[in-house]
Amino acid sequence: MAAAAALRPAILRRIRLSPSPAAAAGAAAASQPNALARWLARPMSSHDAHLTRDEVVDRLLDVLKCHPKVDPSKVSPEAHFEKDLGLDSLDTVEVVMAIEEEFKLEIPDQEADKIDSLPLAIEYVANHPMAA
Amino acid sequence: MVVAPTRAEALSLFRSLLRTARQFSDYNIREYTRRRAADAFRENRALGDVAAVAAAFADGKKLLEVAKRQVVVYSLYAPKAKSIMEMKLQ
Repeated sequence: MAAAAALRPAILRRIRLSPSPAAAAGAAAASQPNALARWLARPMSSHDAHLTRDEVVDRLLDVLKCHPKVDPSKVSPEAHFEKDLGLDSLDTVEVVMAIEEEFKLEIPDQEADKIDSLPLAIEYVANHPMAA
Repeated sequence: MVVAPTRAEALSLFRSLLRTARQFSDYNIREYTRRRAADAFRENRALGDVAAVAAAFADGKKLLEVAKRQVVVYSLYAPKAKSIMEMKLQ
């Protein structure tokens, strides 16, 4: 019994089952030499395309500039929706909805009510794990 | 005794209408619903009378229910082709 128990981990350590994605990648690599390299280079996280802050700022500025009631020349990363851009509360709701659409987010009402300026919007989107 | 909705309640109704509008599969109906909600809220923003505000709010809530039902109905008859307005320009 003792011998079998000692043998068991030794055998288990030797056995290697190739996982199927690797096998598939290997097969693909035979036909396309770059495929394996690409497969190995892919990030392990599902959030591989996480947004950088600069990208968030750029896209938010674009959203604001495309809004029909906003004067594009007044848009800056520090702008306040009501004080600087002359939007009212209804416009602000529409702008926040447009931001949701741009970044594929669903902002809850309580959070959305607080977003009344670009710095707050940038902060919210940049810290949101699901922003895409 | 009628009670006027608070500012937060009104904005929440507006947001719900826009969220529902977004779900229509047909571009024209989606945009119409969004426009209709925005126009109605703008038109009624200066209402002073408590009864008139409450009536407009109740009407808005009724229309939100209509829109929610219509989203389901229209999803059964979703257009097969996209509207040209939805296509990305090169």
